[in-house]
Amino acid sequence: MERNNWIETILNSTNGITPVAPSDDLFSKIQQRIQLERKVSSKTVWLVAASIAVLVMLNFSILAFKSKEKTSSTTAYLEMTVNKSNQLYK
Amino acid sequence: MIQNQFHFEKLYHEYKTLVFNVALNYLQDIEDAEEITQDVFVKVYNSLESFNQKSSYKTWIYRITINQCLDFIKMKNSQKRYFIFGKKSQNETEYLNTATFEHPGILMENQEEATILFEVINTLTENQKTAFLLSKLDGLSNPEISEIMQLSISSVESLVFRAKVVLQDKLSEKFNNYRKKK
Repeated sequence: MERNNWIETILNSTNGITPVAPSDDLFSKIQQRIQLERKVSSKTVWLVAASIAVLVMLNFSILAFKSKEKTSSTTAYLEMTVNKSNQLYK
Repeated sequence: MIQNQFHFEKLYHEYKTLVFNVALNYLQDIEDAEEITQDVFVKVYNSLESFNQKSSYKTWIYRITINQCLDFIKMKNSQKRYFIFGKKSQNETEYLNTATFEHPGILMENQEEATILFEVINTLTENQKTAFLLSKLDGLSNPEISEIMQLSISSVESLVFRAKVVLQDKLSEKFNNYRKKK
């Protein structure tokens, strides 16, 4: 009996609970966070865009360099393999 | 943009107390509850345009708040585990420490009993705790809770029933200690 009464008292201890109001400056803190996120996000966008541009430029320059190197090496190889003796049937 | 801002402000003033109190009941810490309230409203602001109005604002905000609280508890527990290199816990009692928490909304004469109740509530499973808190402290009906938790009404009824049984069992164990102390 005593046990049940005690349990009931504990379970009913939240009866009559009243809502608690958050602090008054909470809204300004939220506004600040929203502003900050906006700033950060635009910065991040620009940073990502700049990184992509740099990457693309790097890729193009490497590709251009490689193709230049390839053509010069093929001509050099052709020059080396060409028969310089003029004796075609030897 | 200005209309959006106006709408957000209206939502904030309508639901700030609800969000803060749900977080306070969940986390039992005023500072953490304020942090959660901030997180919830930043999320609301960012998702306001994409809100599809399939549910009411109240249900939507309730869902965001509960998910935010659960994530917060998980984050705190993982930080704590990392720090002590310890084991994974079964529930959130690891982070939540109600031994000293006095809920500011509870009558002064019930503070001691309420502290014991919150301590036992924290041993419930996530779903049982959510269903019990929404039912007991927020006074929501089972259909409302089912909409928030996206479960059937019978599942909610079962969760609330199971929560009460578990609480009674745990309180019964606590009663032995209470009598010994007396």
